[in-house]
Amino acid sequence: MAQLGTHLDRPIVGATPAARGRRAWTRALDDSRFFPSLLLVPILIFFVVWNVVPLLWLVGVSFYRYKVTSSREPSFVGWENFAEIFQSTEIWRTLGRTLTFMLLSVGLATILGVLLGLLFWGSQRMPGRRLALTLLFTPMVLPPVAVGTFFRLIYEPNFGVVNYYAQQIVGRRFDFLGDKDLAFFATVAVDVWMWTPFMILMTLAALGSVPKAELEAAEVDRLPWLQRLRYIVLPHGKFILMLGILLRTIDAFKTTDLPYLMTNGGPGNQTELVGLSLYRTGFEAFQMGDASSLAVVTLLVAIAFTSVYLYVLNYRAARVEMR
Amino acid sequence: MTSQDLSTSHAALLRDAMAGRLSRRQALQRAVALGLSAPAMAGLMTAYRSSPVAAQDAPATSPLAGKTIDMSILGIGGWPPSRLGVDLATELFKPYAKETLGYDVNFTFEESPFDQLFQKAATSLQAESAQYNIIISDSQWLGALAEPGWILQLNDIIAENPELQIEFEPAAREGYQIFPDGSDQVWGLPQEGDTIALFVRQDLFSDQAERDAFKAANGGTDLPQTFEDWEQIDIVAFEKIAAHFTRPEQGLAGTAMQWSKVYDYISCYLYPFMFSTGGEIIEGDVGSYKIEGVLDSQVNADAMALNKRFLDYAPNGATNFGIPELVDQFTTGTCATCFQWSALGPQMMNQKAGAAAGEADDPSKPVTPENVMIVAPPAFKQADGSLKRVYALGGQPWTINAFNDADHLQVAVDYMKFWYRPETQLEFARRGGNPSVKATLDDPEFDTLQPHFRAFKYMIREGRSRDFWHDPNYAEMLATQQEAFSAYLTGTVEDPMQALKYTACEQQGILFDGERTEIEPSEACNDVSL
Amino acid sequence: MNETSWRQHLYHGLLWLIALLFFMPVLWIFLAAFKAEGLLVSWPPRWFFTPTLDNLRDVFARPGFWSYLAMSFVLSIGAVVIALVVSFLAAYSFSRYKPTGTNFIMFLLLSVRMVPATAVVVPVFLMYSAFGWSKTFHGMLLFYAMFAIPFSLWILKGFLDGVSERYDETALVNGGSRLHVIFRVVLPQVKPGLVAAFIFNIIFVWNEFLFNYLLGGKGTTMIPVLLATGVNEGGSVDWTFIASLSFIYMLPPILAIFLFQKYLLVGMTFGTVRGEV
Repeated sequence: MAQLGTHLDRPIVGATPAARGRRAWTRALDDSRFFPSLLLVPILIFFVVWNVVPLLWLVGVSFYRYKVTSSREPSFVGWENFAEIFQSTEIWRTLGRTLTFMLLSVGLATILGVLLGLLFWGSQRMPGRRLALTLLFTPMVLPPVAVGTFFRLIYEPNFGVVNYYAQQIVGRRFDFLGDKDLAFFATVAVDVWMWTPFMILMTLAALGSVPKAELEAAEVDRLPWLQRLRYIVLPHGKFILMLGILLRTIDAFKTTDLPYLMTNGGPGNQTELVGLSLYRTGFEAFQMGDASSLAVVTLLVAIAFTSVYLYVLNYRAARVEMR
Repeated sequence: MTSQDLSTSHAALLRDAMAGRLSRRQALQRAVALGLSAPAMAGLMTAYRSSPVAAQDAPATSPLAGKTIDMSILGIGGWPPSRLGVDLATELFKPYAKETLGYDVNFTFEESPFDQLFQKAATSLQAESAQYNIIISDSQWLGALAEPGWILQLNDIIAENPELQIEFEPAAREGYQIFPDGSDQVWGLPQEGDTIALFVRQDLFSDQAERDAFKAANGGTDLPQTFEDWEQIDIVAFEKIAAHFTRPEQGLAGTAMQWSKVYDYISCYLYPFMFSTGGEIIEGDVGSYKIEGVLDSQVNADAMALNKRFLDYAPNGATNFGIPELVDQFTTGTCATCFQWSALGPQMMNQKAGAAAGEADDPSKPVTPENVMIVAPPAFKQADGSLKRVYALGGQPWTINAFNDADHLQVAVDYMKFWYRPETQLEFARRGGNPSVKATLDDPEFDTLQPHFRAFKYMIREGRSRDFWHDPNYAEMLATQQEAFSAYLTGTVEDPMQALKYTACEQQGILFDGERTEIEPSEACNDVSL
Repeated sequence: MNETSWRQHLYHGLLWLIALLFFMPVLWIFLAAFKAEGLLVSWPPRWFFTPTLDNLRDVFARPGFWSYLAMSFVLSIGAVVIALVVSFLAAYSFSRYKPTGTNFIMFLLLSVRMVPATAVVVPVFLMYSAFGWSKTFHGMLLFYAMFAIPFSLWILKGFLDGVSERYDETALVNGGSRLHVIFRVVLPQVKPGLVAAFIFNIIFVWNEFLFNYLLGGKGTTMIPVLLATGVNEGGSVDWTFIASLSFIYMLPPILAIFLFQKYLLVGMTFGTVRGEV
């Protein structure tokens, strides 16, 4: 508390006469019961203009047939757009593919991230650690546009660098982005490369949240390594890890740029994810009604994800309070 | 006098004529002295008609005199003909406008690749924005841009301006100007004409050892050597040639074409197989369009199978080849022949821009201008034994933003008039652009101006190239078939008929939903998927 | 050298190797930025070569490059600053007064941020077209501000909840006004949160392509659009241009995570996890 006192005294003692003169109206402001709401005015403006209005617009248009490149006036079609979504095998398959993409990409990134995170645990005295971590974490701050475009060159079968080493090691080249059996996994691989560092980061954070005392006790008890993880690290770290997985899941669901630039959804429709379908419906076909109804569906999915995310967060908060 | 010199003198003559420095009689005398052909003279006299001295847009009367106008052109990124349209605006039209029309104009160029340009244009035009005053549209987009009233219908403007009453190649008129098909509504003016050509590594084909080996393996038939030889090559003969040069162990492939899912890449190179063997893609007119039962024909399925067979003779990764990838492949020497838009002649030959013919742009590349020949792509033998070629038409029209204010519209029209002056067309051609003006193509010198012009002219005439739909729903229809064709090419779908049925059902549905046809997709469509 | 330190060296060497492995594709892009055009498509790939600065010069000479780069800076910094001010005020209110609907609004804001960009852009595009905001500078700026608000709010609210209310009370008792409390007492306490929110939202806006492409006009174009649309030149793929432009554009984010490494965790988890790695 002593530290707090000194911190607070300074500005008040130093207040200028002008500031004291201003105090009258600021006081009035403070006492006003509108003050808390006043602070919220800017965000509410943003919220209404950029969230509520577009949301209403979106829901509204989703009941219309509205094609931008048509001279026809938009016409109300009721639930037809939604019915089409639910009847369309293509859209269900795209959603299924997106789900597979999510599971594979997040799953692999998590496994790799946790393993590497454990490996990096205790690297505090590593020489050049800050630089090494910067290099390690670089993939997740890169523009996806650049990554997507450049991986086309890296994967290229005739002069791509990956194929050079494939040729050296396994004796053949692969058409990573053109082969129907490989393209999907080649896309997943890039996503895993970009986001494994994030899972390493989360693992390190999770490990950092384990109380030192408990670890030292385990050291003294000579508890086997696996049991330490199971009984000491996991109970403390699992919430942060869970958050990491959820955030990744939500992000993977949104993936659009990568397949758009690397494969354009091909070969055939092997890498067509829901974000890409939305883009095509909205901005290639300019079918705003169809696009809006599909957007409403993905919005609901996203809200479902977010709810799980918040549930885990609150659960964690509750646990913290219990302790 | 070489053709190069001749065209330079011709251009100088035209310049003098247009600037009003020569009387009609003097010009004629000089033209005769140069030995210009009759059509070129006719072109010269046209220049006379529109000469600024006589024209109505003299400085004193130009409503824009003294003003400065900023014009923005939206065009196709990395596409040399689009770039030429902008370069010529700045290099030639700007000084012309200053000198003759009395106003200052500055051009800026905004660009996007083929597959992204329509979004860029449409998102801007949807907001009724005039930020792009002139738009170079791909030919299929005409309907999608015209239908919502985003671009200007040009019939009235053409009627008012004799300089724009030009006879274009019929294929260019159908492909770049008219919407709806068969009507007389004009929405665009040809910017760049384009057809598919075959690029051949002449150094390989003329190699005596190659010729002997090919003869030995093919009952004495020689490799084609000249343009005329290639005219007689049909797809069966071509397959043998492609097979002959397919040597993966040497890093050489027989041929390459566009098979990528992006934009219209597969479609444009698969259509020739369909069109030339009697396949159709759509029947009827607005209100009665029929695709189901037309596109999904056995002829078209066979065409797809034949097209796919050429993947065996292509370099690795061919199912991702689009326009730019083919340039990289061919110029790095990975294929003996290559199908490509003729507009990319200079780039495919690795020819340095603006330099004397024959000089390589990138000397480190194995392919140089002198060892490339550009010929007509293979024909298809008909039942009666005759040869037929019906390839896809490329190229783009100029279109004018409908939301332009009067000043910008005036400059756009002035530039269009300038664009079709014989002098401008000649300069465009000299830099490698494909003109669509019939008189320019008729000039006997035309074939020799650029190595690719002979093939271009051959292919744009006599119905050898045709465009596909200009319908406002083109983007959806295209995306559907690109997906289906790509699925078949890459083996996701085994049966070409399944890909065709799926495409036909979807496209019929798209047109039906868009109220472009009264024919609904059949019940059978419910069971078709990729 | 004793055995422990030998093993320690081996361990650190392994960690360095892993870090370099992850960096390898980026290194390949960076090397490409200094290669002559032919070398990029050469077989076998070349790790050692005589570097050239021609590609970078070409990028600098491209029409529009400098204005796009300037726009990248202006839009990312401008939008994030607006977002931080707005979210800080809101976070203070949410944290201290807990008005009804706090959780709901926080939840909704976050949900919208979790929706695929392609879904968000549809209604915003329609709205912008109708209001005439499409292609305008303020339209783009405020949209990005909105884009940055949810995470800023979450990060700052998390931090403010961690600042004991006794600070506020003590300051008020000592005669400070509310505004004084907010800006002079509480603000300095959440500086790490501000830095984290600033850096990470900037990286998001900096790298953003789709909204800029569809909602932005020629006066508001940022570099990622140039990266996606300037792919081709002279008919073929312009790899040297992409590589050198990527190189230039990737440097600031990489520099940021080097300089602000201790905020990395906070930023990447939107403030829900605090601490350093």
